[in-house]
Amino acid sequence: MKRIAFALVCLALALAVLAATAGAGPRAYTILLSMKGPGSGNPFWAAVERGARDAARALGVNLVVLSPPAETDVQAQVAILEDQIAKRVNAIVVAPTDVSALNSTFDKARARRIPVLFVDTDATWPHKVTFIGTDNRAGGALGGRFLCQQLQGRGEVAIITGVMTTQSIRARVEGARDAMRRCGLQIVAELPANSDRALGQQVMEDILTRRPNVRGVFAANDLMALGAAEAVKARGRTGQVLIVGFDAIPEAAQAILRGEMAASVAQNPYNMGKFGIENAVKVLNGQTVPKRIDTGTTLVTKQNAAQYAK
Amino acid sequence: MVGRAAPGLGWDRVRAALARMDLLLVVLLMIAVLTALQPQFFLTRENLTNVARQIASNAVLALGQLLVVVTAGIDLSVGSVMGLCMTVLALATKAGWPALASLAAAVALGAGVGAANGLALTRLHLPHPFIATLATLNVARGATYLLSGGVPISGLSPEVRWLGSADLTVFPGTPLATAIPISFLVVVALYGAGTVFLRRTPTGRHLYALGGNPRAAQYAGIDTARLLVLVYVLCGALAGVAGVLLAGRVNSAYPTAGIGAELDSIAAVIIGGASFFGGRGTPGGVFLGAVIMGLLRNGLNLMNVSVFWQQVFIGLIILLAVYVDVLRRRAAQLES
Repeated sequence: MKRIAFALVCLALALAVLAATAGAGPRAYTILLSMKGPGSGNPFWAAVERGARDAARALGVNLVVLSPPAETDVQAQVAILEDQIAKRVNAIVVAPTDVSALNSTFDKARARRIPVLFVDTDATWPHKVTFIGTDNRAGGALGGRFLCQQLQGRGEVAIITGVMTTQSIRARVEGARDAMRRCGLQIVAELPANSDRALGQQVMEDILTRRPNVRGVFAANDLMALGAAEAVKARGRTGQVLIVGFDAIPEAAQAILRGEMAASVAQNPYNMGKFGIENAVKVLNGQTVPKRIDTGTTLVTKQNAAQYAK
Repeated sequence: MVGRAAPGLGWDRVRAALARMDLLLVVLLMIAVLTALQPQFFLTRENLTNVARQIASNAVLALGQLLVVVTAGIDLSVGSVMGLCMTVLALATKAGWPALASLAAAVALGAGVGAANGLALTRLHLPHPFIATLATLNVARGATYLLSGGVPISGLSPEVRWLGSADLTVFPGTPLATAIPISFLVVVALYGAGTVFLRRTPTGRHLYALGGNPRAAQYAGIDTARLLVLVYVLCGALAGVAGVLLAGRVNSAYPTAGIGAELDSIAAVIIGGASFFGGRGTPGGVFLGAVIMGLLRNGLNLMNVSVFWQQVFIGLIILLAVYVDVLRRRAAQLES
């Protein structure tokens, strides 16, 4: 027993020495990045993390990345933030797992003068430094304008909407609707498919039956767009109905390369991580940053789809 | 096995030492290692307060789970029931109910779901509590989404939040001022009550008898059906209390609250030395089990280690804890 205890104490001391030497170095800002899930396994979060790491390396920032195991594990993210606040990180860049359940944790950071920046997802906490994420309305408008251009402002189009209680989906639909109306396209149907692939297919079948002249469709996410593409393919009309999705997931990029989808709107998660760290450093250096920072959207068509298809 | 009882052999001595090793020793060892690894941060009052707050809801769920496990049962619904109770607590508060009434409603609802579990087992004669509680796991989670519309309900009153968020400051104004979370005091009080219940009351003793040998308990004149319903009611009510603590802590009832929490509570019970075959397990051990899990997560967070490793380590600790228990029982058998 004594021998085991002695060995364990020796091990602990050795580790402590290791930790102490590893931590030594010039004083640099330590910034915590906590996303909704770990980078490994999810390409979106992996891109956010890559952007943050690149920015941290460029700015000499000591970056700590800790995320809950799943998007639903709010408690784990609360614990991560509390523990890192106790460790006095200099700033927190976070994609909150819930719009309000972390507010009292953010209050603790504020009491210790640790600035909090939101990336990807905005939360209701009023004292945030900034929200850095996609302007979904602008992204929707980008998709809408693409259809305008391709159809030269003439003809019938449809919109497939997602879960309309979700702010981001609503903004995408509004952006696309405005852009298509403005250029003279006629929106003949606007139907919900709950961001679900099978429902997207079903809704598209109905649209093709009732409005056989429809020439373009904007879907608020790629899953619904892929479902719609399936319905168009089943009628043998691939290429005659242009389908635009949102998110540029690899499967959608492959569909674009095959010509089954016309385009998709990609978010820039890399910029979320990069801008997150850059703006955290700005705040720590006493500079002011805008309350809302757009990370931009990119139109993905046959020309550039290969890089999104993995 | 008898042949290996010869004393003086190195491996046997190590095994005997391991067999006598207590959970408390593990906790002290973890504290020593974490202090050595994170000297500036781990032993700070702020961090220890954090740990105390972080383990509260899991510790309360695990206490209820222990009562069920002692009867050789399992309650898979505690995480979902916790989430449901949080949502009902928030809805009641938003509807203008007084704080005490909302809190009572949440705990009563938990007890009600527990009663359903117990009755499904004893009246409907479902073959194993796994099935009844798996059903209520789904029902309660679905009801939570339906009641909340899938969105979090935030902004509870300070009275409702008090149990989960307030601190009791001891030695205020002095350099020794320390904030003790009320939620942790609730945990200590509940575990104290649980210990008295299981050790000193006839009903508590009957639970061990029921778990150890249900047939014998029945022949001894114990009303096993009533006892089982009582156990699931208590477990559900404790899930309600855990929900009250968590809702107070995050100031919100979010619909995904408690997903997977049943597994954490079972882990604490197993690490704490309770037997899955019933009849064995103490609140003191389960409390240390919850503390071990809390310290592990806190330590790895402080050392910036990914949560995936936390899952790996908790899995390994479950294995180790049960193996040590097996060794201990073998040693006891050899001695007798």
